[in-house]
This record gives sequence, C-alpha cells and structure tokens, in this order.
Amino acid sequence: MSAFAAVIGAVTRHRGVTACLVVAEEDGIIVDGTARIGVNTAAFAALTASLYRKAGRAADSAGFGDVSFFDLEAEQGRVIAAGRNGLVVVAVADAGVNLGLLRVELLRAAATL
Amino acid sequence: MALPTSVGWADLPLQRFVDDARVQLAVLMQPSGQVLAQVGFKRSIDVQTVCALSAAINASGDLLGRMVDATPFRVLHHAGREKQFYLGQVPLRDGLLVLLAVFDTESSLGIVQLYLGELQSAVAAAAPPPPPADAAPALAEDFERELNRNLAQLFGRAS
Repeated sequence: MSAFAAVIGAVTRHRGVTACLVVAEEDGIIVDGTARIGVNTAAFAALTASLYRKAGRAADSAGFGDVSFFDLEAEQGRVIAAGRNGLVVVAVADAGVNLGLLRVELLRAAATL
Repeated sequence: MALPTSVGWADLPLQRFVDDARVQLAVLMQPSGQVLAQVGFKRSIDVQTVCALSAAINASGDLLGRMVDATPFRVLHHAGREKQFYLGQVPLRDGLLVLLAVFDTESSLGIVQLYLGELQSAVAAAAPPPPPADAAPALAEDFERELNRNLAQLFGRAS
C-alpha cells in the first residue's frame, strides 16, 4: 500500500468520483491514483497539473498568494484539485457530485501531502 | 532499415508538437544524427552540434540499457534548474527516429510525453513512402553530404 492510499481512498469513496490521482505539480507525472476504466490518466494528470501550475502563477501575479483549491466545471463533469509541497490531489467527478463535501475532502487530503 | 533521409516532410508534425507541448526547441533526427526537422534553432551549426550530441547520448543509452537491463533505454529526461531536455524515440516503420525537446516551466515532462504520442502518429502519417527494395542502399560515405544538404535546406541555403 502506498503512502497515498488513504488519501485516494477517502476521495474516491464519494459518490460520483471517477478518478483520484496524486500528481507531481512540476512534472505532471502520476505518483499514485485510481481511475475508472476509460479515463486516460496520464494525459489527464499532465494537463491538470499544467492547469494547476498556471493557475498558481496567475494567482501569484494578481497578488493573491498560493492556489489552495482549483475547480474546473465542464458540461458533463468537473475536475477538482488541491495541492501542497509540490504534489496535487486531483479528483474527476460527475457533474452531480456533492462539491462541498468533495472540496472539504480534497483540502483535507492536500493538508496531508 | 528504410528511414527517410530528406527534410520537409516532418516540419508540420514537429511544429505542431512544439506548439502543443510548449517546448522551446525540438529536433527530429535519424539515430545517426542526421537532422530531419527542427524548430527553434537559429544557426545550422547549433543543430549540427545538438544532433551529434543527441545521437551519441541515444546510442549510449541504447547500449547501456542492453548491458544492464537487456533492453535499450528509450528515453532520457534531464531536469535542470531552469531548462529541461527530453530525448525520446519516434518509431517509424521498422526503425526509430530520435527526438530532442528542450523546455522550461511553460511545459512539463508529462505534457511532453503526452504530445509525443501525437507526434509519433503524425510522423508515421507524414513519412514519405519507403524506397523500393532494389534502390541503392544509403551508404556511410553519403552521410556527411546528406547531413550538410539537410542543414542547408533547413536554413535556406540549399543550392
């Protein structure tokens, strides 16, 4: 069992979550994770880490400090991420997921990184 | 091994790779170091040097991998303080081309790997047909002449 198994387990047990990955923020490489069949995890991790990194730079440029939580809403689902210490926990979820609960879970997960 | 030696055919796939992956420099070459396409270099001498060094690294990784792991090392990634390079391979027919990509914080290893997959498909689709079986083989003595010809074409000095 990896050091991130508990974090990933806590996120994926939420109804509507289809994938949870721990990704290196700088590289976009998957450290650990689990996903439903059909999710291209490598591509997803690389692109999400890139988005998260750039969101961080945007926040920094605006003088807002570090990004703590990132939510991307799409037609049929959403991508949620929270990071710390160079790692990002990313969750992929259906559109109907309970965002409030998942946000709390991701922030809690990020605090353990 | 019937790998293409001419330039031009791989320009668009490589340019798209550079645009998508946000890399700064990219060179596609034969394992021998003969350049096929490049993006981002201003001087032919730089391309020539980079290709020679990349070919040597690729050959070293290939042999080192065979020695220690019984299979060639296919990828080399080096993360410097500000810049990183990725030396990967692009399968084509029964051979492999070598790709060198240099990038900074605008991109990442994951992004480069992601778009390398698309580059591989695009290169396979754009490659010229293999020469007929009875065509004259590429001779080692032609290497330097072809290398210089490709560099001249890439930098607009072809006669």
